[in-house]
Amino acid sequence: MITIKVDMDKCQHYGQCVYEAPDIFKLNENNKLEYLASADESERDNVKSASDTCPMQAIQVFD
Amino acid sequence: MNLIIGSTLKTLIVGAGMGGLRTAESLRRYRYPGHIHILGDEWHMPYNRPPLSKSLLAQDQELAQVSFPIKSDDLNTEFTLGDGVRQLSMEQQSVTLQSGKKIEFDFLVAATGLRSKKLVFPNNLQSGRFALRTFDDAKAIRQAVGSGKDVVILGSGFIGLEVAATLKGLGCRVKIVAMEDIPLGLILGEPFGEEIRRRHETKGIEFYLNNRVTDLVGNTAITHVKLVDGQSLPCDIFIEAIGSAANVEWLEGNELNLSDGLLTDSSLHAVKSNGTSVSNLFGVGDIARFPNIRFELPPRRIEHWNIPLESSRRAAREIVRQVVPGSIEGFESEGGFNPLPTFWSDQFEFSILSYGEPRLADEIRLLEGNLGEEFIFAYLREGSLVGVAGIGMKSKINEMRKDIIK
Ligand SMILES: Cc1cc2nc3c(=O)[nH]c(=O)nc-3n(C[C@H](O)[C@H](O)[C@H](O)COP(=O)(O)OP(=O)(O)OC[C@H]3O[C@@H](n4cnc5c(N)ncnc54)[C@H](O)[C@@H]3O)c2cc1C
Ligand code: SF4
Repeated sequence: MITIKVDMDKCQHYGQCVYEAPDIFKLNENNKLEYLASADESERDNVKSASDTCPMQAIQVFD
Repeated sequence: MNLIIGSTLKTLIVGAGMGGLRTAESLRRYRYPGHIHILGDEWHMPYNRPPLSKSLLAQDQELAQVSFPIKSDDLNTEFTLGDGVRQLSMEQQSVTLQSGKKIEFDFLVAATGLRSKKLVFPNNLQSGRFALRTFDDAKAIRQAVGSGKDVVILGSGFIGLEVAATLKGLGCRVKIVAMEDIPLGLILGEPFGEEIRRRHETKGIEFYLNNRVTDLVGNTAITHVKLVDGQSLPCDIFIEAIGSAANVEWLEGNELNLSDGLLTDSSLHAVKSNGTSVSNLFGVGDIARFPNIRFELPPRRIEHWNIPLESSRRAAREIVRQVVPGSIEGFESEGGFNPLPTFWSDQFEFSILSYGEPRLADEIRLLEGNLGEEFIFAYLREGSLVGVAGIGMKSKINEMRKDIIK
């Protein structure tokens, strides 16, 4: 399992992460980010890509 | 090209910005087996530039708050900082640093980005004068500004507008002087640009459009700037935000096409003046002038944050394909580099999000919302969607990005 943390003070809800890991991140009806705080190992690469893509560098991935 | 095995294989990456770092990370991710060495002329480890005009300037943040996180073990990369590359020799397959040190390579990635342009005035004062590209630039501006200072910004592009908004928030009196009639009008269309101007004016920013600074006034430091229409504006701090030039000088003398950046082919290999591609030299990030397959346009540079990211991944795959053929699944069939230009901009409390190339449109439609609040524009060229941009409504804008022509 991996643990995912988004710093909501930094996040500007651009939704770039949604494209890299659509099963983990989404923008809700209010244009706010929602995400899963943990995921299967198989999502590691996608979440890492999401973390690279985030303009605010708000996403962290832990083991 | 003949392959060099394992430990003696060396990839040099010139430029320790985002493009440089992401290239090294991608190489490791695709299991590149050799040595990686990043060379940078700044003294800092790679950091994120967009906050320089936004949160870093507003909150006087330190470098640690904008540095890219690095896991050294995974990256397994050598860094040489504060010693830029002076000259490339393709003949000798080596670079010479400012210090005179010479380093050889098997693969070379050019990721040296841009620098801010600066004008030359008859009274070419330097004190009180700034541009914004680096962390050090942002710190210098932050130290100089303060409540009640008169700031004049030259240029009404994204960086000019963001800096204006941030410095207004710090209590400065801010004026923007620009040659265009409408800020961002050419990029996002006139109604969008007018709305941005209205929002800035509501916050107390003054625009001097269709105008130009012809000279600086002052003895040792700037006190005023003179405009072409005869006006003179009080000015403690003068910030030039008039665009950038590519850092390509170190590539000269190698028969490369260096007109406005490093010309590459559609897989990011550098292209020579005679049109042939160089197998072991790549351009990534802001410096790369690559063919625009999606929009069927001549090659051009794109100065958005997603380009260093996507181009570095692509260049890394090209390298790994040569080093370890067959190691990247489905890679042989990969088409030309075809990124979707993506940018965002935060100004005051509103944020702009854009995908594609709105500037190509022959027709602009307000798709949803109201100009005074949140809205989305669709940009069409001969009836096909070439761009979408708006303020707010991020999930809808994100949804529409898939409809932009491929
Ligand atoms: C103030 C500011 C705000 C921005 N805001 C946004 C935004 O909101 N949204 C967006 O999409 N984009 C934004 N951008 C653009 C984005 O930051 C760039 O597209 C991105 O930084 C490009 O990365 P790069 O690695 O290609 O170049 P750079 O980040 O410029 O890195 C190049 C590095 O190479 C170094 N170098 C140069 N010459 C040499 C040499 N001869 N030898 C060794 N090293 C050398 C440079 O000093 C630099 O450190 C902004 C840019 C700035 C400056
Ligand atoms: S990409 Fe970053 S800023 Fe954008 S929604 Fe995701 S976490 Fe937030």
